[in-house]
Amino acid sequence: MTLPADVIEREALELDRVWSDRQGFWGWLTTTDHKSIGKRYVATAFLMFVAGGIEAALMRAQLARPGNTLIGPDRYNQLFTTHGTTMMFLFAVPIMTAMGLYFVPLMVGARTVAFPRLNAFGYWTYFVGVVFLYVSLFANTAPDVGWFAYPPLSGPEYSPGHRVDVWAQVVTFTEIAALVAAVNIIVTTFKMRAPGMSLNRIPLFVWAQLVVAFMIVFAMPAVATGSTLMLAADRAITMHWFNPAEGGDVLLWQHVFWFFGHPEVYIIFLPAMGFITPIIETFTGRPVFGYTALVLSNITTAFFAFGLWVHHMFATPIPEVGQSLFTAASMVIAIPTGVQIFCWIATLWGSKPRLTVPLLFVLGFLFTFVNGGITGVMLASVAFDKQAHDTFFVVAHLHYVLLGGGVMPLFGALYFWFPKVTGRRLNETLGKWHFWLFLIGVNLTFFPMHILGLNGMPRRVYTYLAETGWGTLNLVATIGAVTIATSVIIFLIDVVMSLRGGELAGDNPWNSSGLEWATASPPPSFTFLHTPFVTGRHPLWDVKDGLPVVTGLSTRERQVLVTTTVDALPDYRHSMPSASIWPVYLALCMGVVFIGSIFSPYFVLGGLGISLLGLLGWGWSGVGERQEERVALPDGAVKVL
Amino acid sequence: MTELRREVDVAELPTVTFGPRSLMWWGTLGFMTIEGWTTAILVVSYFYLRQNFDAWPPLRTPNPSLLIPTINLLIMLVSLVPARLAADAGKRLDLAGVKRWLAVTSIVSIPIVALRWWELWALNTRWDSNAYGSAAWMIVGFHTSLLLLDVADTLGLTLFYNIREMPAKAFSDTADNSFYWYFTVGIWIPIYLIVYVGPRIV
Repeated sequence: MTLPADVIEREALELDRVWSDRQGFWGWLTTTDHKSIGKRYVATAFLMFVAGGIEAALMRAQLARPGNTLIGPDRYNQLFTTHGTTMMFLFAVPIMTAMGLYFVPLMVGARTVAFPRLNAFGYWTYFVGVVFLYVSLFANTAPDVGWFAYPPLSGPEYSPGHRVDVWAQVVTFTEIAALVAAVNIIVTTFKMRAPGMSLNRIPLFVWAQLVVAFMIVFAMPAVATGSTLMLAADRAITMHWFNPAEGGDVLLWQHVFWFFGHPEVYIIFLPAMGFITPIIETFTGRPVFGYTALVLSNITTAFFAFGLWVHHMFATPIPEVGQSLFTAASMVIAIPTGVQIFCWIATLWGSKPRLTVPLLFVLGFLFTFVNGGITGVMLASVAFDKQAHDTFFVVAHLHYVLLGGGVMPLFGALYFWFPKVTGRRLNETLGKWHFWLFLIGVNLTFFPMHILGLNGMPRRVYTYLAETGWGTLNLVATIGAVTIATSVIIFLIDVVMSLRGGELAGDNPWNSSGLEWATASPPPSFTFLHTPFVTGRHPLWDVKDGLPVVTGLSTRERQVLVTTTVDALPDYRHSMPSASIWPVYLALCMGVVFIGSIFSPYFVLGGLGISLLGLLGWGWSGVGERQEERVALPDGAVKVL
Repeated sequence: MTELRREVDVAELPTVTFGPRSLMWWGTLGFMTIEGWTTAILVVSYFYLRQNFDAWPPLRTPNPSLLIPTINLLIMLVSLVPARLAADAGKRLDLAGVKRWLAVTSIVSIPIVALRWWELWALNTRWDSNAYGSAAWMIVGFHTSLLLLDVADTLGLTLFYNIREMPAKAFSDTADNSFYWYFTVGIWIPIYLIVYVGPRIV
């Protein structure tokens, strides 16, 4: 039955009244709308990309010629540590989860995430970490021991003062934010998919986010344990986890750090794989080849990612059997990644792709990432790794992987979904300039570093002698960095110009197939007027005679539809909380606890004390008004109260 | 906009469910997984550091005392009963039962928290004595944070039930609160065995 226009209009007005936030600063501060939170998450994380990029540019300026005196060793140590910490903890992981927090509900046809207040709490906790790191950088107390902060260098004996404490607590904030985001994404995907979206119809973007969310659940606790419960405790209350004099062990740190750190690479990379499939499908106009293979590759990659961490420790006394095992695992993980790449090539093969900017970035990814992957297989060999360990070869490898495998698909995704989020398209011409300069810049910057590494240039040195002969290649790399910076500036100009006067996009500017394109651009406060009903893997391509929808959700409260985990059958109607100040309050309490812990344990007690008020307020405001409810009892009966 | 066609109407579906049907149950399970995994990492690290010592506990460090931890373990096990009864009352929509058993769970939880202080000292070492002390204190300390969180949740729920009218979904919340309490007590059993009993056996 087709829905009459006047009913649709009335429902839209009622829903907007219920789902909209208050106007002004208070509404902005207290919002729990996953779209608002998602946008500010992506924007903040991108700002961190720019900040990390400025730090990189400063380092490249210093290394442009031998014996340069632009930046001294102490400042340089702070710069490379802040650069790595920013890029890994404040840019890459947060922006990937932020894309999920914005788009997963849209792609599964839900009006919001499973836990909207928790989502806001996660963002504000992350924000506290961002502010903390950058205040410390300008106060000359930024961490200076590298982004993985190995003890004993990072321990109390060799790093007195508070620089390492800043690092440990910034990591804590990111861990909390990532963990709450992961729980949100898992439960949203399991329980809030539109009816008909059984497991075998979940979009590959969402599959990637789901797999990554599980990885976060098992990886982040390791670094949380290492940084917060061990390193910070060694430094603040004289514990001895890493103090060999009292039975501690510095290698324990490397284990807990890399048990997180290696999966983290895939936590960054797999969401990017999720961006690629819809982009390729859209611009080739055909369903992706090998849906099941792609899903299984995601899961297999995640599984193997937890079995590789020791390859970061080949230069430590690891038993030979262990080395062989981790070498084998490091090589095996290339197989599921290879399967994915072949599936995409098969999809592109023989198609007539529209070479738009998002697709260009995907092609750039294929080229750049495969290079990084190959050097990864080289480094999996113990004999080679021992030669290349701690040299610029590793710097080249990891940047090829992360920029090729993470940032290029991310840029593609930003061009692809910008129209959905803002209602306006980015400029294609500027986009092509951005793409080509970025591709050239990345290769110009990082390819010479392979050779520098093989020639023996160690990483993390603030200068080198002219006699080493490393000057020319370093200068080339610096020119590459300038090229990258130019490309990013073009992108930022494009964003500003397009926000002001870009071409209006319409609901589905690319003729794409996912549910996110079934609503307006930008989506209204309630996201979907009606929950969609899904009949295939490509809902908008499968539609022949009007989009099937679900009706019957309340328009008087923030109600969402919860469905069954496997088959996505309608199960119950769930009421969501409205805007709330308590997420911000609790995030600030976490700031008091963790930042305060650097200075005195009493801040921890005080912070936890004021958190209690927050927990009570959170609980109280979430109770809601007593109204007629239909309760499904565990025995199957339904009782109206 | 594409034309909209009604496929299914959900107006008659329930608004409150229990257990794996409800979103909150899944969220609780998620945090239990994270906290359980963190505990597992701490325990593995405890055994990793064990390799650096000839004796465990180290020489001149007495074994942990068992009296207080054993008493507290028994109280925790007993506390499962009112927690279960509160959950069952919630699942029957029995308001009086929920209030009663939440109150009993709250009362039982207070000596558990109080005894935890002496339980830490029953380790018979300090966190800053050596790596053994650090690991043992941190494992028990981390569990204490889970304990405090759940006790705060139970007390809060009890308080709310007694000072305001609660919606039907609070029955489901009560069941989930008990679910988390089973986890808090359940995960303590291996910790008790490893940290307090283990050094006497190995």
